[in-house]
Amino acid sequence: MTRRTFGWFAWPSVAVMSVLMVFPLVTTVFLSMTRIFLRDLSSREWIGFDNYTEILQDPDFWSAFRLTMLFVAIVVPAHVVLGFGLANLLDRVTRARGFYLAALLLPFIVTPVVSTLLVRDLFDRGGLLSWLWEVVTGDPFVIHAGNVKWVIILHGIWSITPFAVITFFAGMQTLPEERIEAADMDGAGFWAKQRFVVIPHLRSLIIFVLLITIMDAYRVFDSSFVFGQSVGKSAHALSVYSFNTALNAQIGRIGKGNAISVLMVIGIFVVLIPFLRKSYQEQIADR
Amino acid sequence: MLKQLRASAGTVGIHTALVIAIIISSVPFYWAAQNSIKFTRDTIRSTPTLWGFDITADPYRKFWFRSEDQSMWQVALFVLALAAVISALVWAARRAETTWPWNLGVALTLWIGMQLFPRVFDMNREFDYFINSVYVTVLTVIISIGIGLLAGYALARYSGLSGAVILIVALAFRALPRTAFVLPYFIVAKELGILDSRLVIVLALVAINQPFTIWMLRSFFMEVPREIEEAAMMDGATRLQAFRMAVIPIMWPGIIATSLFTMLLAYNEFLFVRVLAVTEWTLPVAISALTGGESTTTLTEAAAASVSITLPIVIVIIMFQKHLVKGLGAGAVKG
Repeated sequence: MTRRTFGWFAWPSVAVMSVLMVFPLVTTVFLSMTRIFLRDLSSREWIGFDNYTEILQDPDFWSAFRLTMLFVAIVVPAHVVLGFGLANLLDRVTRARGFYLAALLLPFIVTPVVSTLLVRDLFDRGGLLSWLWEVVTGDPFVIHAGNVKWVIILHGIWSITPFAVITFFAGMQTLPEERIEAADMDGAGFWAKQRFVVIPHLRSLIIFVLLITIMDAYRVFDSSFVFGQSVGKSAHALSVYSFNTALNAQIGRIGKGNAISVLMVIGIFVVLIPFLRKSYQEQIADR
Repeated sequence: MLKQLRASAGTVGIHTALVIAIIISSVPFYWAAQNSIKFTRDTIRSTPTLWGFDITADPYRKFWFRSEDQSMWQVALFVLALAAVISALVWAARRAETTWPWNLGVALTLWIGMQLFPRVFDMNREFDYFINSVYVTVLTVIISIGIGLLAGYALARYSGLSGAVILIVALAFRALPRTAFVLPYFIVAKELGILDSRLVIVLALVAINQPFTIWMLRSFFMEVPREIEEAAMMDGATRLQAFRMAVIPIMWPGIIATSLFTMLLAYNEFLFVRVLAVTEWTLPVAISALTGGESTTTLTEAAAASVSITLPIVIVIIMFQKHLVKGLGAGAVKG
């Protein structure tokens, strides 16, 4: 394909991304260095890095930062391990496979705001799990500022695991039967087969899943926002902290909210640059 | 004999583990479905009422309808009639040669039904939010896939440096927090006075979804052999004609899979709609407003709302489940 044809085909998409992604990003960086309030957008004052120094001294920022890091650090590995295990189980059954798959997919496809509300109802007073907790420990489970992060993490694992399950399951379908048979012939046990045949085959899928879910877990918003409505700031992850700082009617500090976003952008890039470099080299090598 | 016994014990073990997994994944839905048909008095007891409670459709009626005495029988009849027309069309489509006029027929019937509904019944504002959800989802899917197909195809076939750069920049954009985009959108939209426009929401969703769309469609195009369009171009077709006549027809599985993911994203989106819409909400924002803060909505009504929002997406996904699985497999091949 010539460069010219490429341009004709790719321009609408590239135009949309440039206008609606590059431009907003530049605006975000610019606004992060101004003092600008929600109630009066027209008055802007250039204040350099003041927003940033203020954020770094804000205990709310560090609390949101800790919650986000904890969320990523637990949800990402947990869902990969769980997803791999469940995909393995699915791969070994033939009966009712479609049914299992459909039922396992549910948490992934349902609207996150809705599923958070459902989980909240389960854990709140009068809910099924709250009551089960009471049966076991003697006190009903109640979501409060101290334990809300664990409920958010549980919801995170519950809702993202199906993504790993179907991705790994789809990958296992392409594993040639002969390789398993060859491993059997060599007398490989279950774990040896996983370690030397299945996992190497799924390597690129595992990296793909890690890449996608690190991105998604890092910017977790919906569940943190919904729990924030009932227990307040202790449920806030970084995205919600940024949103709340900028658009909450009482706070409405758009400049500071943008500065938080910029810090988040820097944070994710520090993590992703090795990944991006590797993908770039692969793309160049593929040419 | 012993080996067989061990094998079947293993199978039982696997099925047990899977059943436990699906119980965990569906317990919240079970609980919500149950709450949505209870009377409030059965939801506020200290011990959950698991069975033997009285059943009612009241929570659904309160969520969807304005008037108190809306007869649920009438509604059920209307829904049944609509379902009958659609199934008849689908059934006819299976016997007909071409399918697209019938698909158009199904879409049209659904559309007319949606327009008729608020005329026949006294609907709450929630129905408008439902219409908005459908509008935003359908338009986002059409525009995203439309421009994504062209770009994905070009990126799969072009070997120049700019192609690689576009892909990597798109991947980097996929990683960014949504707040980094939504705050500037909000300010620009407010300054231009285009806040609360459904079209702005659609455009925003198309943009943030574009990186994922082009990556996924590209990986499907990579699996289409070049010979297909080269043969067509030998016969005198232009690149665009070859793309339309030869490549697209075998791309349908990929298009459907990518559309499903785009649909999930648009239908489930909360943050963008919350920020860019003032009154033209979609369902996720509506239910969050219904249940958050000082709202007086009862648990049963919130549960009915949850079930109502979840059902459409579950039906669509179950219909196309195979495509979703295939899509994740293929989408990741070059990931």
